[in-house]
Amino acid sequence: MSLALLSLAGFGALLLILLVWVLVDPRKRTARNDHMGLAADFDRRHVIYFPQVRQALAAEDFAFLASRGSREMIRRVHKERRKIALTYLSWLRSDFLKLWRLARVIASMSSQVGAAQEFSRLRLGLAFSLRYEMVRIKFLFGSAPLPELGALSDLVSRLASRLETAMKDLGERAALAAKLASNLDGRSLDSR
Amino acid sequence: MSSLPLYVKCLWACSVLAQLFLLIFLFVKGNFRKIPYFTAYIALNICQAGFIFFLYSPWGPEPHTIFVLAWTSESLTLLAQALATFEILGVTLRPYKGIWGLGWRALTVVSGIVVILVVLATRSHWTHAQWFELNRGYHLTFASAVIACLLLVRYYSIPVPTAYKMILGGFCFYSCTEILINTILQALLHKSFYDYQPIWQASRMISFIVVQVIWTTALRKPLPVENSQATAFPDSTYQQLSPEINEQLRQLNEKLLQLWKLEARPH
Repeated sequence: MSLALLSLAGFGALLLILLVWVLVDPRKRTARNDHMGLAADFDRRHVIYFPQVRQALAAEDFAFLASRGSREMIRRVHKERRKIALTYLSWLRSDFLKLWRLARVIASMSSQVGAAQEFSRLRLGLAFSLRYEMVRIKFLFGSAPLPELGALSDLVSRLASRLETAMKDLGERAALAAKLASNLDGRSLDSR
Repeated sequence: MSSLPLYVKCLWACSVLAQLFLLIFLFVKGNFRKIPYFTAYIALNICQAGFIFFLYSPWGPEPHTIFVLAWTSESLTLLAQALATFEILGVTLRPYKGIWGLGWRALTVVSGIVVILVVLATRSHWTHAQWFELNRGYHLTFASAVIACLLLVRYYSIPVPTAYKMILGGFCFYSCTEILINTILQALLHKSFYDYQPIWQASRMISFIVVQVIWTTALRKPLPVENSQATAFPDSTYQQLSPEINEQLRQLNEKLLQLWKLEARPH
């Protein structure tokens, strides 16, 4: 079999796999559920817990414990801090995904969508997923210098309040859109 | 026709019968009003089967004419297939004006890329198998374009009624199997293709019968009422919000990158 024919057959098989993947959605989510989920999600913003996380990861606390506590306690605290770091990381991801999903809902309900904006968002999502997994693996295997996580809190704290305000604002608008959408759906059901 | 083995003739009969059932379902359930191009495509397929039957009959023309006429009739049904698919995509995506606009651009780009790739990959076989290559090129472009649209639908969580999904899935499945059958048989049976023609015909017919069964299952009930308008935001909302969200996402991404850099620093 020549290389050209082999690549054509491979492309055909890839299309068939993609087709199955596209059609079989285990979550069976619908756009309406997405809107509802969004409205509920915005009541559970993770960034608001940031001060507590910051406190838990403060380098000074760890240094104090290290100077006074037993080896067992230091090991336990280290483990706890790693757990907090991982949880925080998943919060960051959750906030990212919420914004990402919100943007898609807004796009799907808008009459004009910019290809550049959408492509840029897709690229951001892929980059975030890749980096997230890389950082998570480092945390999981314990190679990350956990005390330095405190520095992250300074970086993120400024963003947190801005993000919270923006998400609240966007959430209200998305909820309005969801309400409008369900009204529209109701109208089409009535017309049957 | 008389030269074909019995199992191929049986498969042909099953295929025509399945199409007739489907056409009856389309009329009985009133779905032909909602998807007229799809109905026309099924009717055209039945007519093509009758035409091919005549061509291969003892009263048919000489072999070369049969070859040209059979492939010409195939081109017509492929054109009808494209129109029927466009109709289904239109029904499902048109209420989402923005996504429909984006889908159009995605279709053009994906189709353009695939056509160029197909021409590059098959140019050496072009002289002795142009109909064959045209057919495979069409199916490659068609399947890629439809899957690109389905990916858009999934990405934006657009609700598509199961019946429409099954019709689109059926079209795509048929095209993918055509690509695989044509390519694999061309590679394996290159030197003695005409000896193995019944295998080629039988495998194509089996995949088409599978698709007919999927479509008949999808169309056994009346299709849902079309949602004429799903857009809720004015143009300005997207123009204002989308860059804002992208900026927020970019900042979150940068934070993660900074975290990665912090980690990478030796301590």
